[in-house]
Amino acid sequence: MKVSFFPHNLWRQSWRYLAKNRWQSALMVLGIAIGVAVVVAIDIANTSAARAFDLSKEAVAGKATHQIVAGPDGIDDAFYTRLRRDGIVQQAAPIIDTYVSSPQMGSRPFELLGIDPFADGDFRQYLSQGQTIPIEQLIAFLTRPGAILVSNETASRYQLSLGSSLTLEIAGKQQLVFVAGILEPADALSRQTLEGMIITDIATAQEITGRLGSLDRIDLILPPDSQRQVIQQIEGILPQGYQVVSTASRSASINQMTEAFRLNLSALSLLALMVGLFLIYNTMTFSVVRRRTLYGLLRCLGVTRREIISMVLVEAFVVGVLGSALGIGLGILMGRQTVHMVTQTINDLYYTTTVQAVGIPPASLLKGGILGVIATGLTALFPALEASSVPARLALSRSGLERKARYIVFWLAGAGILLIGLGQGFFLIPGSSLFLGFGGTVATLLGFAMESAVALIFLMVLVRPVMGKTLGMLGKMAPSNLVSNLSRTSVAVASLMVAVAVVVGMTLMISSFRSSVETWLKETLQGDIYISTPSFIQTGSSEAIDPAVISMVEAESGALRVDTLRTVRVDAQQGPVTLNATENPDFGVERLYRQLSIPKDQVWDRLNLGEVLVTEALANRFDLYQPGSQVTLMSAAGWRTFPVMGIIYEYTSSEGSIWMAESVYRDYWNDSGQNSISLRLADGVDVNQEVTYLQDTLSAIQQLNIRSNVTLRSDVMQVFDRTFAITNAMRLLATIVAFIGVLNTSMLLQMEKQRELGILRALGLTKLQLWKLVLLESGLMGLVSGFLAAPTGYMLAVILVDVINKRSFNWTLHLLPTPWVFGQGWIIAIIAAILAGIYPAWRLNQMAAADAIRYE
Amino acid sequence: MPCLMGIAVRKSMTKPKKEKISAAELSQPQVEKFLRLSNLSKGYIEGKQRRLVLDKTSVTIYKGEFVAILGRSGSGKTTLLNLISGIDVADEGQIYLNGWNLSALNDMKRTLYRRQNIGFIFQFFNLIPTLTVWENIALPLELNGKLDKEGVQRGEQLLEAVGLLDRRNAFPDLLSGGEQQRVAIARALVHNPSLVLADEPTGNLDEERGRQVLELIDELTRSSGKNLILVTHNPEAASYADRVLFLQDGKLEEQPRLSS
Repeated sequence: MKVSFFPHNLWRQSWRYLAKNRWQSALMVLGIAIGVAVVVAIDIANTSAARAFDLSKEAVAGKATHQIVAGPDGIDDAFYTRLRRDGIVQQAAPIIDTYVSSPQMGSRPFELLGIDPFADGDFRQYLSQGQTIPIEQLIAFLTRPGAILVSNETASRYQLSLGSSLTLEIAGKQQLVFVAGILEPADALSRQTLEGMIITDIATAQEITGRLGSLDRIDLILPPDSQRQVIQQIEGILPQGYQVVSTASRSASINQMTEAFRLNLSALSLLALMVGLFLIYNTMTFSVVRRRTLYGLLRCLGVTRREIISMVLVEAFVVGVLGSALGIGLGILMGRQTVHMVTQTINDLYYTTTVQAVGIPPASLLKGGILGVIATGLTALFPALEASSVPARLALSRSGLERKARYIVFWLAGAGILLIGLGQGFFLIPGSSLFLGFGGTVATLLGFAMESAVALIFLMVLVRPVMGKTLGMLGKMAPSNLVSNLSRTSVAVASLMVAVAVVVGMTLMISSFRSSVETWLKETLQGDIYISTPSFIQTGSSEAIDPAVISMVEAESGALRVDTLRTVRVDAQQGPVTLNATENPDFGVERLYRQLSIPKDQVWDRLNLGEVLVTEALANRFDLYQPGSQVTLMSAAGWRTFPVMGIIYEYTSSEGSIWMAESVYRDYWNDSGQNSISLRLADGVDVNQEVTYLQDTLSAIQQLNIRSNVTLRSDVMQVFDRTFAITNAMRLLATIVAFIGVLNTSMLLQMEKQRELGILRALGLTKLQLWKLVLLESGLMGLVSGFLAAPTGYMLAVILVDVINKRSFNWTLHLLPTPWVFGQGWIIAIIAAILAGIYPAWRLNQMAAADAIRYE
Repeated sequence: MPCLMGIAVRKSMTKPKKEKISAAELSQPQVEKFLRLSNLSKGYIEGKQRRLVLDKTSVTIYKGEFVAILGRSGSGKTTLLNLISGIDVADEGQIYLNGWNLSALNDMKRTLYRRQNIGFIFQFFNLIPTLTVWENIALPLELNGKLDKEGVQRGEQLLEAVGLLDRRNAFPDLLSGGEQQRVAIARALVHNPSLVLADEPTGNLDEERGRQVLELIDELTRSSGKNLILVTHNPEAASYADRVLFLQDGKLEEQPRLSS
């Protein structure tokens, strides 16, 4: 028998159903679009951030295979001379590498690269290939102090020309430079790379940065077949405190810092998509349930189960494609802002990025689109299987559906509990995989969603007598109606519950985080005024404060006590780390400890004996929880090992840092600089006036960040608020999707019941009573959703705080289950549900009773 | 020999499970028997009890017969149709339909069998609201892969026969009840099924329209030699049939033919 493989009229009726119910179809499309838009926007941002890092890395490292690095003092440029003279390495280039800004160039960070043009040609070919710098410009670059090169794009953007003067700001000091040449990048990659850079001669860079006689590093290109040999030869003449590192591994360790953060964002975006998918599931299920009679009819006419499944899945595919296409468009629009937010957070917490715009990666769009379509299809699979599995006979009887719904409720609840258990089981698997973390999150959410039906039944049994007594007949009807339409209402409640639970969970996480950080700030920031060198990365600067500034501050009459801090980057055996050297004798008692085996008042003495404290993030990275743990750092005298005596809480960096006594630091590193001062004022001294005085007085020596304790705390909180800006945006989107979901459901529910409500109107129900009934039903659905969302949201918050956040940032947050957050979730659920009932109630009231009860 | 061959063919197509055909029946030319229900039972769980709707009932219907099944509401008439069409499965007993043992077929095969060989006319018309009149009629042809020139011609002939050629592009919500039922009749016949099942086809129509519909069904099925089983609680509707069976207490009993 020849059968039609693609009966057009079968698909035609599907398509027309979608078109006829355009509001529901549009809401489905919108739900998917929002989810896909978030995924695409986050992926664009992550890819852009990663690409920006790659470009920066390529720009700065170029073709270097290895680098010679040293501690905070840098490398003596005499060593470079020796290296070239001895002929051990054929290709070596000295480098000064730092960040500057200029008010004439938007005060944004630029990477200042000081090079030796004669040695650099093999390393950074974008500087040599295709560049035909006129001889006079070259001479000016090589011979005149303060000469810089910028790209043509930078010059065009900031209206610079040959000879233009600029003021560069570095570590609070200003240097005058001029544009000696304008680079014409040969290709798009070079153009993007050079856009955030300023090139100077090495000598000019040393003058600008105050590093006379010193280099930041020496880049090397080592032949692949004799790399080990050459490295050994170099190490034979290396002074103590210097080391040869591979460029690739250095970049990898920096990249790794942000990998968890970016992965966390991606996973959160998938959570947003999941909320959108619940909307799809909600609507598709409704759509299938509404057409059970049709499916039964088709089965009577000889349509097979497989054909019905295909039909439903094709409908979902169409919705998925439309939604994904719209979502991609929205994602591109959102992507620009998201790139800015992600880049800002990376700058705040990790490292400075100078690449401003990287473009829209096609892979991000494709990824979001495919994910949207596949996710929609998978979500529609259950309704499709439901549509196909019901025998034709039962499908022609509605009462059969509700019987079935009530029958499976308890099985569903049991399965939900198992799923929750499975989700929790994921978290018990050792390791720090974020994928396992999010797998457990999804399983837990789904498990709770499956409790919706049984929760609805039980809660309605509880409220019906109370509502009957207080609201009369309508108070009894509303709960009964919800239970008698269980096949629809339970799905609606589950959908709203998931969205509100995500809102509650994220709110709890963010508020707990804020609280943890505020508590930490309050305990650790004991100074009245803080002075530091400006930095493009919020976590600190390696540039030193001018000694004259320190002398002036110490001599300041209002100062009761002055403590200095040195923050530098040093190399540990596991990679670069931040080292803080403090002279604050109260440091030990002021800190909050994750782990400490001695009394707090003994900490300072032990620090001065050479032990160190590490932050929690570093302890997680280097696995330093065991008693007797140590860290080994490259000092001026070579590798030195320091015992770890304790682990402190700190939220400035997810990379983590090490704290030691300044006296110990000075013993091992030849560095006398300070880059931060904490000032405690005498009683009666006005903090704000003192800040103003110091700003006025010190600006003549060096531009510094001078902030009161209150201002500094506020600035730190701003950084963390920025960090969660994206999470807040997703929370808002989840709320919007929740509202869309419940609006859709309310409309469908009430439209379905128009005949029944028409009969009630015919029997004498007034319009006002109809309003009340519809809004009561909507409100009750919101009540049940909010009730379930509270424990689900709490569980989600526990997961986000204890698992996801820890695995992403290595921080411990203390979960604070604020009652207001749960109340807020409940209120959102009820208000969203009631608002969503307004339009259907209005529409029903517009309809004449006779029309409603006429056979359709 | 032909009857033995017939049995052999039937055995190769199905997996006859239980009964053998009796000797007395073997002596009858097999080609005349169209439908045989053998000790058919079907019940439903209602609360804690099981209600037996069909209780070991048996009947034979011959080729080309128009049979009416009478019974009061809830007697099991629709259940019987569901079993005959393969929509539902009996608890006990066998259904032999036009050489096939329906009881031995799985859901997919029963569905395909229904698609090819059975036409349905429902009480509430059950047209697909998002398809036009013509598209509703053409659907069975499409499902069977017969929407070719011949199929289209057949569909149009039927559309003309039911008097709705000029309404081919209308959607069902614009048609009256009688018109919708006429479209349903055309849909039930368009793919040339061997059996038409009509479940209270006039139940939702006034007397005049109901009569017109019955006459149409009778004319169209008889003229093409199809079997028609009409389920009704209306004796006047049953009077169009060659035979009337009465369903009571789960059993089918022969009723004397009622005069019209």
